[in-house]
Amino acid sequence: MTSSLSPLIHLVDDDAAVRDSLALLIGTVGLRVQAWADPQDFLAQFERSDVGAIVLDVRMPGTSGLAVLDMLAAQGVDQPVIMLTGHGTVEMCRRAFKAGAAEFLEKPVDDELLIEALQAAVRQHVRSRERHQADRQARERYAQLSGREREVLGLIVEGLTNKEIGRALALSPRTVETHRANLFAKLEADSLAQLIRRYAALVEDTAP
Amino acid sequence: MTLSHWRRALAWLLAWALVAAVGAGWLVHARLLALEDAFVTDARIVHRLLSQRAVQHDAVMAMLPLLQPPAEGQGSSIAMPLPRLPAAYPQIAQVLRRLPGSAWPADLPAALGSALDAAEARSRHSGHAELAQADLPRGRAWLALAGPADQAADHALLLDLHATIPWDEWPMDAQTSPVRVRLQYKGQAFGVQAGRRLAHGWHYDFHKLLASQSQPFDVVLERDVGWSELPWGPMLAWAAASAAALAALRTLLRQRVAARRAEELLRLGQVARLNQLGELAAGMAHELNQPLTALLASTQAAQRLLDEEEPDLDTARHAMGQAVAQARRASAVVGRLRRVVERPDLSGQAQALALPAAVHDALHLLEPELRRRGIAVQVDAPADLPAVRAEPVALQQIIHNLVMNALQAMEQSEAGQRRLRLALGQQGSRVLLSVRDTGPGVAPEARARLFTPFYTTRPGGLGLGLSLSESLAQAMGGELSLAPPAAADGAGAEFHLLLPLAHQP
Repeated sequence: MTSSLSPLIHLVDDDAAVRDSLALLIGTVGLRVQAWADPQDFLAQFERSDVGAIVLDVRMPGTSGLAVLDMLAAQGVDQPVIMLTGHGTVEMCRRAFKAGAAEFLEKPVDDELLIEALQAAVRQHVRSRERHQADRQARERYAQLSGREREVLGLIVEGLTNKEIGRALALSPRTVETHRANLFAKLEADSLAQLIRRYAALVEDTAP
Repeated sequence: MTLSHWRRALAWLLAWALVAAVGAGWLVHARLLALEDAFVTDARIVHRLLSQRAVQHDAVMAMLPLLQPPAEGQGSSIAMPLPRLPAAYPQIAQVLRRLPGSAWPADLPAALGSALDAAEARSRHSGHAELAQADLPRGRAWLALAGPADQAADHALLLDLHATIPWDEWPMDAQTSPVRVRLQYKGQAFGVQAGRRLAHGWHYDFHKLLASQSQPFDVVLERDVGWSELPWGPMLAWAAASAAALAALRTLLRQRVAARRAEELLRLGQVARLNQLGELAAGMAHELNQPLTALLASTQAAQRLLDEEEPDLDTARHAMGQAVAQARRASAVVGRLRRVVERPDLSGQAQALALPAAVHDALHLLEPELRRRGIAVQVDAPADLPAVRAEPVALQQIIHNLVMNALQAMEQSEAGQRRLRLALGQQGSRVLLSVRDTGPGVAPEARARLFTPFYTTRPGGLGLGLSLSESLAQAMGGELSLAPPAAADGAGAEFHLLLPLAHQP
C-alpha cells in the first residue's frame, strides 16, 4: 500500500505553463504532483492504487476533460476528480457532477479554493480507501470461521446469551463458550460491541 | 438541370395540358351544341314548309270535285286534263278526272291505272286523297281521290316534287349547306338538298312524317360535322392564353421563392457573423484564460513560498519568472487579437452610393421585425441628395445596427409610441443620416462609454454593435456619434452618421 506516502495529485492539462505553475502551487502545501500533458497518456499509465485526487482541464485538444471523466467513472476509478474550466456553463457543470466530479472550478483559480478542494478530495479518498481496507480485512477474517462458529456468531449478533445459543444449537454451554472464544480470537475483536459493529453487516449479507 | 427541375417542369407542362384540354373540350362541346341546335331548328322549319305544301295538295284535291261540275258534255268517260291548275300550282304536273262508270285514259300505263283504281277504292273508304303511286327518284307521285258520291267524278293528280320545295322560304342555302335533306317512302328517296357526307366526325339526323295523310313521306335531314368545323381558333387562343397565364404564375412563384431565399440568406449571413463573433470571443477568453491561470498560480505559489519560515527562494524566483513569462504571453495574445480584429482600410473599396437606397434596403431587410413590433417608420430624404462615398456592405451593416438598436430600445415603449425616424440631409461636404427612436434614450452615465467595445446596457448583448459601427464609419472617412439629448421631446436616442460626399465640391 502507498498510503504511508503523501497523497499524489494527477494534474491533466495540455498547457505547459498552466501545468507547471499549478504543480508548483500544489507542491507548496506538501502534496506530490504528477503532471500529464496528454489525457490519453494519463488514462493509459496513471497508477490506480495511489491515494490522492485528479485535476482535469475541461478544454483539451483530442479528448476533452468531460470525456476523460466519463472514462474514469466507467473504469471504476475511485480518486476524486476536480474539473477546471475556462468558461463553465451550467450545462457543463451539470454534466460534470452527474459523471461524478467532486468539484468544478473556474480558471483562473484562486489558490485557497484549489488547495482546499484538493485537501478535501484527498481526505475523502483516504477515508474511503480506509473503509475499503477495513471491509476487506473483516471479510478475510470472517472467511476463516468454521460453519459452527458462523452459526454461533449469527446468534450472538442477534443478542442471544450462551445458554440460549446452546439450547438453539443443541450444544452444551461449555462448547458454546469455546466457539465464542475461538471466534473472538479469529475475528480479532476485543469487545462484544466491536464484534457486532464490524461483523453484523457481514453476517446478514451471508445469512442463508 | 437536375432531375427535380425536370420533374417540376413536367408537372407544370401536365398542368397546362390539363387546363388546355378542359378548356378545349368545353369549347368543342359548346360548338357542337350550337350546331345541333341550328340543325334541329332548320329541320323543324323544313318539315313545316314541306308539310304546308302537302296539306296544300290535299286542299287542292278536295276542291277539284267542286270546280268542275260532273255533267259536262262529251267523252265523259275519258278523264280530262285540267290545264288551268298546273299554271297556278307549278308542282301539279297533271290532273285527271274520271266520270262515274268511265275508265282512266287509255294512254295511261296499265300499272298506273290499277294503282289509281286501288287508291280510289281506299279513298272512297277513308274519305280523303290517297297516294296511288310514287316514283321518288324521279320526283313524281300520283294522288287519287274518289268522288264524294257515286255520281261524282274521281280525280287523280300528278305531283312534281321538284317544284314542291319552297326555295324562297328555305332556311338554308341549298348550294352550300352541309345538311342533307330527302323525302323517303318505302325504300325510295327523293333528294331535296345534296349537302355533304363525311366519313368522320359527328352525325345528327332528323326523321318525321309529313303532316299529310295522302303523302306519307318521311322527311329526313342529316348533318355531318367534320373536324374542320371545330372551333380551332378559339381552342388555340385558349391554349396560348392558359400557357401564358401558367408561365406568368410560375414566374411569380419562382420570384417569390427567390426573394424568400435571398432574405433567408441575408438573415443566415447575419447569424453566421454573430456566431463568428461569439466564436472569436470564446477563443479569446480561452487564449487569455490559460496565461492568466498560470500567472495567478505562479504568483500565489511564490507568495506561499515566501511566507514560509525558511523561504525556498530559488523556487519562489522560478515561480516569479514563470509569472512574468505568462504576463508577456497574455499581452501577446491581446496583440495578436488586435491584429486579427483590426479592419483593413475601407476607403479603398468605397464607391459612390445613393444613401436613400441603402436606407431603403436596410429597412426592407428588417421589415418583418418592424411589422412584428408595430413600429411606425418615417424616412425623410430630400430628392436632390447627392451621392455619398462608402463601402456598400459596411454601410449596410452600420444602418442595420443603428436600426436594430432603435428597435431594441423601443421594446419597453408603449405600442402606439414606437416611432422610428430616419432623416437624411446634406451638411457642408458631408451627408448626415440621423436615426431617432422613441425609446428611453441613453442614460447620462452611459453616454461616455457607449462606443466602448463590450460595453452594453442590454442583458445578453455583446456590446460590439456600436463600436464596430463606429470603426466601420471611421474606416470610410465618416463619423458616427450620439446626438446631444433633445431638450424638446426628451425621450429617445438619436444617432448621427456622417459620410463624405462622393464628389467633393
